[in-house]
Amino acid sequence: MAGHAMYEWIYIAAVTAILIWVGAASWDVERIIEEVPADAETIKVIGQQWFWSFEHADGTKEVNELHVQKDKPYRFEITSLDVNHAFNVPDWTLMIDAVPGRINTLWNMFTQDGEYLIQCREYCGFSHYNMKAKLFVEPAVTEAAAESGSTAATTTTPPAQQPSATQQQQSTSNATSTAAGGNATSAAAGGGVTLTILEGASIQGSPDYDPDELTVKKGDKITVDNVDTMPHTVTNGKSGSDPTSGKLFDTSIINGGDSAEIDTSSVDAGAHPFYCMVHPYMTGSLTVE
Amino acid sequence: MVLEVKKPRALWEIIFSTHHTDIGLLYIISSITFLMMGGALALAIRAELFLPGQQIIPDSNTFHRFFTVHGTTMLFLWAIPFGAGIGNYLIPILIRYKDMAWPKLNAVAFWMIPVGAALVWIGFADLGWTAYPPYSIIRAPGPAAELWIFGLKILGLSSVLGSINFIVTMLKCKHPDLPIMKMSLFAWSILSISFMTLVAIPTFAAALIMLYTDRLGVTGFFNPALGGDPIAYQHLFWFTFHPEVYIFLLPAVGMLYEMIPKFSRKPIFSYQSGVIAFLLLSTIGFASWAHHMLATGMSFTEKTVFMVGTLAAVPASAMHVFNWVATMWGGRIKFAAPMLFGVGGIMLFFASGAGGVVNTALPLDFITHDSYWVVGHFHLILMGTVSLTFTGFIYYMFPLITGKMYNEKLAKIHWIAAFSGIIIVFMTQHILGLMGMPRRYFDYLPLPEWIAMNQIATTGAWIVGLSYVLMIYNLLKSSVKGAFANMSDPFNIGEQYYDYRRREPHH
Repeated sequence: MAGHAMYEWIYIAAVTAILIWVGAASWDVERIIEEVPADAETIKVIGQQWFWSFEHADGTKEVNELHVQKDKPYRFEITSLDVNHAFNVPDWTLMIDAVPGRINTLWNMFTQDGEYLIQCREYCGFSHYNMKAKLFVEPAVTEAAAESGSTAATTTTPPAQQPSATQQQQSTSNATSTAAGGNATSAAAGGGVTLTILEGASIQGSPDYDPDELTVKKGDKITVDNVDTMPHTVTNGKSGSDPTSGKLFDTSIINGGDSAEIDTSSVDAGAHPFYCMVHPYMTGSLTVE
Repeated sequence: MVLEVKKPRALWEIIFSTHHTDIGLLYIISSITFLMMGGALALAIRAELFLPGQQIIPDSNTFHRFFTVHGTTMLFLWAIPFGAGIGNYLIPILIRYKDMAWPKLNAVAFWMIPVGAALVWIGFADLGWTAYPPYSIIRAPGPAAELWIFGLKILGLSSVLGSINFIVTMLKCKHPDLPIMKMSLFAWSILSISFMTLVAIPTFAAALIMLYTDRLGVTGFFNPALGGDPIAYQHLFWFTFHPEVYIFLLPAVGMLYEMIPKFSRKPIFSYQSGVIAFLLLSTIGFASWAHHMLATGMSFTEKTVFMVGTLAAVPASAMHVFNWVATMWGGRIKFAAPMLFGVGGIMLFFASGAGGVVNTALPLDFITHDSYWVVGHFHLILMGTVSLTFTGFIYYMFPLITGKMYNEKLAKIHWIAAFSGIIIVFMTQHILGLMGMPRRYFDYLPLPEWIAMNQIATTGAWIVGLSYVLMIYNLLKSSVKGAFANMSDPFNIGEQYYDYRRREPHH
């Protein structure tokens, strides 16, 4: 490098100096933001194909919605139960992978109330693009209300998204008396109609709803038994992009082993396609006579 | 097709030849074919994303298959074979030997590529080109995933065989009068990537076998349900594929060292600094693999180590850029098409390198990771730097291969369209990523700014696509009807071109 080497040395020194500055500044910022405050409240975050579930420190559980309080530090413990996902709140630049068998942590204090998007940022299959949840940052509650903070959070949840506890109990008792095969395609006199979500339905290509095409009389109550281990829904419409989706009937999330009920008295006569919001390739059709 | 200047030959003579120029030509033609095939998938992906909602691709599964095969094709069937093809064509000429060291092995290495390509394209898997477990083990449908695994296995073996051949050719068959420190910098680039391939590929080859037995259910290396660790796969994968980034890049760097001094009519600013930068990149390139995994939940120490490792590779790349700029400085530059593509490649190399520094700066990585920023970033290096330079070199080699001259006007139109199109697509994708749009999305939220950005990107992609159709037309037409080139100096720059008269007997 004799002769004209000096220019090159000056240049390399300048580049290296810039890089050292970038590295040192990044290291310093990262060091500060990774320090979790001692009073941070833990929220467990579980990613699954293709929904998010959350568990608060007091045991309250939420699916696809997360309610947190403004100006309160939270520590997220993130994992997955099937494939890799990534928990991402773009507006708060929160981002870390959800890896099965590992718990990754993040923390944040939300300083502005509002509704924010939670999305999946690691390719996870069929509905990766649709694996979204909502984050609600709510104004901090007063001292008195803080004791029942969890109830405050649940009551603000729109009722359509939260499976009603009474409904669940009722239908579980029904489920024991109904045959799991459920090939009754029309309403039996006096009895309800059962729609079974089969085991393994979450895997694309496997049999999902039994029966796939269900015929009922208007006013019948349909018991939906989820005998799978995964959560599912029975939601009217062809897919999530259908504008009428969820308007006629929607069980919202039915956890594995649970049941729900659809009341057809408010559903118009005719054929209505339905699908599972979590696994959109699970489809079926309901005909109301 | 006219393949040799004076003596046209039957097609089968070329196909079954073991001569380095014939095999080089087969590599070049097949890799350009795969560039067009992979490009067609990219245009379909961009058309799908022109508007939110389902557009032209029927469902998300098909979309995932499209981007998987697009990525696999562009990396393993375009970038690597094209570098190997030019290497085959030029290395024996540059080191003054009659052929590659092992001509038959050379032919075998080439013919593994169509086999691997067929497996990848017949399978049309949906793993994503990274094939991360557990998805690739417990969810990806077979036999597509198995075909992908075996396809990549074969392609990996092909590049290992090719690399051994290059190393032996250069180190053992080089003309005794040619000292290694006088060897062309393009030859140095191929020598560097051949060594890198030998070190890097075996790790991924092992990971592929483990992935396959995991899919069979007999092992659980990466399956958490059987006690395995999905992150282990990512380490093995990126230990191969971060160095692989340099394996894609360095042939383009070497080609720029061939073109820049000639079109600037000046000697290279510093030959030694070029060699040193190659050696630095091919060693430091192995110290940064886990910067692809900063968001998998690594410890603060690990993250710091890999950030430092990544930043350490930057000065070596900067040395190359400095060398090119200093070579051009004060030269009488002739902006023929190859030079335009080369200079465009250098500009985008600088842009993507700066973006890479942003990616690795720890707090910023969590904004950009797995977003469209990353898509824009690596396309800027692979499309902007590597493919633009490769394209320039196609034009540069065209007289040597065909004896004809391409249409310079069409080639310049191609450059304007490709260069501006690439900026439109991939700079826009950087912004889209900062707005929060994740990559590998079949459908996106109908936010006005996301829609606008996607539409700009799609338009740019179609401009690039059309410009490459123009290139194919130009190459085909010129090789049949083009004017005969002045073979001692086809670009009228008063510099020595390759020795076209050198025709060793075919085996």
